[in-house]
Amino acid sequence: METEQAVTPERALRLADQRTLVERARRGDPIAQRTLYEEHVDRIYRLTFRLTGREHLARELTQDTFVRAFAGIEGFRGDAAFGTWLHTIAVSVSLNEIKRRKREEARAAPLEEALTMSHSTPVSDPILREKLAAAVAALPEGCRTVFMMHDAEGFTHEEIAEALGVTPGTSKAQLSRGRAKLRLALAEFAGEWNP
Amino acid sequence: MSDDNLSKYGYDFGNDADVVLPDDPNFDAWIAQQAPSLNDPPATPRVDMWDAIQARLETTQAAQAGAIAGVTPLRRRRWVLPAVIAAALLVGIGVDRYSLRSVPSAPSSQVAAADAPAPVFGPRPPEARPTAKSAPATAPAAQVNDPSRLYRLAAVQTLSQAEALLTAYRASNIAERNPAAAKQLGVWGRDVLSSTRLLLDSPAGDDAELRPLLDDLELVLVQIIRVSGAPLDESERALIDRAMRERDLLPRIRSAVPAGVAGAASE
Repeated sequence: METEQAVTPERALRLADQRTLVERARRGDPIAQRTLYEEHVDRIYRLTFRLTGREHLARELTQDTFVRAFAGIEGFRGDAAFGTWLHTIAVSVSLNEIKRRKREEARAAPLEEALTMSHSTPVSDPILREKLAAAVAALPEGCRTVFMMHDAEGFTHEEIAEALGVTPGTSKAQLSRGRAKLRLALAEFAGEWNP
Repeated sequence: MSDDNLSKYGYDFGNDADVVLPDDPNFDAWIAQQAPSLNDPPATPRVDMWDAIQARLETTQAAQAGAIAGVTPLRRRRWVLPAVIAAALLVGIGVDRYSLRSVPSAPSSQVAAADAPAPVFGPRPPEARPTAKSAPATAPAAQVNDPSRLYRLAAVQTLSQAEALLTAYRASNIAERNPAAAKQLGVWGRDVLSSTRLLLDSPAGDDAELRPLLDDLELVLVQIIRVSGAPLDESERALIDRAMRERDLLPRIRSAVPAGVAGAASE
């Protein structure tokens, strides 16, 4: 949560700039909207892609996030960073979409099947890669979201807590539970992390 | 499941959400190395996404400002609640009568079950769930007065109309259609848009599953109305087609409307 971090002069300047930008965007200034978009779009797109694993969905959900944010910017109270507010919206639209898709499995493949590992991973064993992707996909929604946000995308527990509406303690606990489940699921490959 | 297990946004973290399990530092270090390879995102398509966002914002702003002919800006209205209930009552009566006609010999408890459509969105209150055992003889009257049921019926009616409209739109070729047909499509679209906005402004608009569908429907309807009376424009048509395709609008509407009810609702 950015509001809890130490306020350095650079950071104070950035927050002031952001407040100005948000205020201008609130008045419908397209340049301010574009600037806010450019500043945050990478992280939002990466987050929606991590959670859904599908490019067209990530594009759609990123668009939804910004449209909802700009359309509802009057409701942004400014007591958290604008980026944190965007993460909350992005997680919400992504998880809602995942739930909706799961209900429509008869019509579309479940999203878990879309979870893939790139070949840039240090793991060379294709079976392990496949099992790891399947084990992550099988995690409960809360665990998986926290795991992907923390371990894959580098969010802090404070940022995750803010986005999901939980305490940082819950975020830490969910990460530990997620990792424990993965450890069990991948037990046959224990030599990989215990050489 | 108690509320303690839910985040303030309603995500479920299970019964032992805060229980920390023993760590294995070796595994944690290993998995932290692997995780960035999971669903590794490609480069962000910044320009494409911004163009789409801008188009959607412009459409929304134009509609809110009343700049699109025939589209009334959406505002909170005190008469929305009675209007939705009145519309839903009419639809409810229509659906009930249709169900009674189609199942003439069914016992009253089964009729009570048959007349309650089961849209897939939103939680249904226990008293509205159709079970032959639990439905008392007075169930139909009680259900007609149940506001959540009325909103569901109104939603079914609106979504059925929207499905018909979007199917007609998709089947038509704007580039070749005649102005009279285009105008008719616009008039129809305005009717469906009004109903959609009534729903958005009612408690049905608070339904976490229904709201995104209504939002998307509103956007596409506004676009259709905008092009219906204007000079023919292929790029506008492409924008609408893309919005319908990317949002899976028709399939989502079809899955939200229970089979067999669409016809009844539109009677």
